[in-house]
Amino acid sequence: MKRITRREFGALVAGGVVAGVTAGRFANGEEAVAAAPRAAQEPVTADRIVARIRSGIGVEWNPESIDTFKAGDPAAVVTGVVTTSLATMEVLREAVAARANLIITSGTTFYSRADSRTAPAGRSGGAGPAAGAAGDGAAQTPAAPPPNPIFEAKNRFIDENGLIVFRLSDHWRARTPDGFALGLAERIFGEGAFAAPDGPIFFDIPATPLEVVARDVKTRLGGRGGIRVIGDPGVRIRKVAFLPGTTPITASLAALPQADLVIAGEVREWESAEYARDSVFAGRQKGFMTIGRVLSEDPGMALCARWLSDLVPEVGVRHVSAGDPYWRPVA
Amino acid sequence: MRAAEIVERIKAQMGAWRDTSTRDRYKFGGDDTEVTGIATTVFVTMDVIERAAAAGLNMIVPHEDTFWNDPDNEAVVQEDPLYAEKIELLRRHNIVIFRIHDHMHSQVPDFTYVGSAREIGLDPRYETAPNSHRFILPETTLGELAAHVQRTSGARAIRVVGDPNARVSRIQLGVGYATPNLNNAELDVVISGEQQETDSGFDSPAYALDAPAAGVPKGWIMLGHAVSEEAGMLEMAEWIRGFVPEVPVRLVRAGEPFWVP
Repeated sequence: MKRITRREFGALVAGGVVAGVTAGRFANGEEAVAAAPRAAQEPVTADRIVARIRSGIGVEWNPESIDTFKAGDPAAVVTGVVTTSLATMEVLREAVAARANLIITSGTTFYSRADSRTAPAGRSGGAGPAAGAAGDGAAQTPAAPPPNPIFEAKNRFIDENGLIVFRLSDHWRARTPDGFALGLAERIFGEGAFAAPDGPIFFDIPATPLEVVARDVKTRLGGRGGIRVIGDPGVRIRKVAFLPGTTPITASLAALPQADLVIAGEVREWESAEYARDSVFAGRQKGFMTIGRVLSEDPGMALCARWLSDLVPEVGVRHVSAGDPYWRPVA
Repeated sequence: MRAAEIVERIKAQMGAWRDTSTRDRYKFGGDDTEVTGIATTVFVTMDVIERAAAAGLNMIVPHEDTFWNDPDNEAVVQEDPLYAEKIELLRRHNIVIFRIHDHMHSQVPDFTYVGSAREIGLDPRYETAPNSHRFILPETTLGELAAHVQRTSGARAIRVVGDPNARVSRIQLGVGYATPNLNNAELDVVISGEQQETDSGFDSPAYALDAPAAGVPKGWIMLGHAVSEEAGMLEMAEWIRGFVPEVPVRLVRAGEPFWVP
């Protein structure tokens, strides 16, 4: 097990590029900003920034991955960079207000994995029973995509404001340590996360009841309705494992026996949620939280902004939180 | 009576049974297990096994998987001590498990939709056509609709995306992971069990987040998989009771796994 300090992580990621900027931690928990204007710098284009990301990220770049430009002109000069876990219209508006035109997002911008600027033809959602429940997605009834006002509004906003959108997900996750897990651990508990070789990131805390940890996680992440918990609220938690993003059953099988609590992004409920429920029923002193993919990747993208601020000294880099997409009708 | 007799009747009643399904098959026990009673449920949790056994019901008919992965590929989980404990629990209570999933969704009506609509208070008289799973309600707000769903179902961990003040009336009901796409212009709200939050083939909750900027009312209500599909296992129990009068048949609820901070 290796403990990771902020300094080591900084050395790990900065690759010798030191711009003398370390992001502050603001009162609201938002990490970001390094926006001190840097005078007399050469203009930098989006594809040059992405080239630096590719060479500096510390893992071999996979050109087949989802980490590509999704919108805008890669040759355009960048006025500022915003990182986020979801490039919603609200996040894009905040970017424009901050005079940033390059958005680096870990989530999809155009709603599906294809991340195409036109609505996909797909499940009709219309008459007829959708086939298959667990596991197989749903019935597919190909249909030509009609004009779509939500796509149109987003495309118009991106074009009118000259925005460029680049997705950075697979490679940020593939780093050692996983940038999303480290960001999440540090946002919730501060410095002191440690990693097993090839394993998840862990954090040791003084024994704390699960319900207290859950409330704290909600507060630290600005959660609304997306956080759901399995386990006895009174069970005492000492070791926490972090599985942000999408969590397959194999990851839960590897992490839960080694930890008292797993904080996951999104799971398939028929896999990890039921595994956790059975673990608890069988007497394991465990907790399992699913906090949603977008919320789970938010701190990792704040960490990414800090990393980028060293890599791109020419312009300001800040993180804009997409928040917790979910709410609940009854508190 | 032997499990074989019951399974034979299920297959005959279902019609067009496909033995090729990886899902709809025995998961523990088999033809020769003597059945004292039948429990239907959404998930064969260890808790459900204990409660079914205590009620004298040793055949369990679940809608979903037993060993924490959809095809119940035991190679995925067999290194975990919990797998051995679950097997031991099943053995101790002489349980036989026979899953009905794909065939349940092929039935007309599909009991999962009937049960889910009842559980969340979607009045059948608003369904546009039988088995369309599409409801046109008197106009309300997404907030009011979600509150109605939560009050009626009593579920704790319902999640909603979209503007609570959006005025909505056109609802498409999905079940489990079969979540209809929200980017259908004829829909205001999708209600379902669960769905990928990003990287799905069609759309995502982000679509509802961006809808207000386009002036379009959109909402996404996720009940959770268990809440979404458990209620229909009551219909499944009643259906089996109709052709298996020899033993008691009833729903043993797995319930909602989550609580919320």
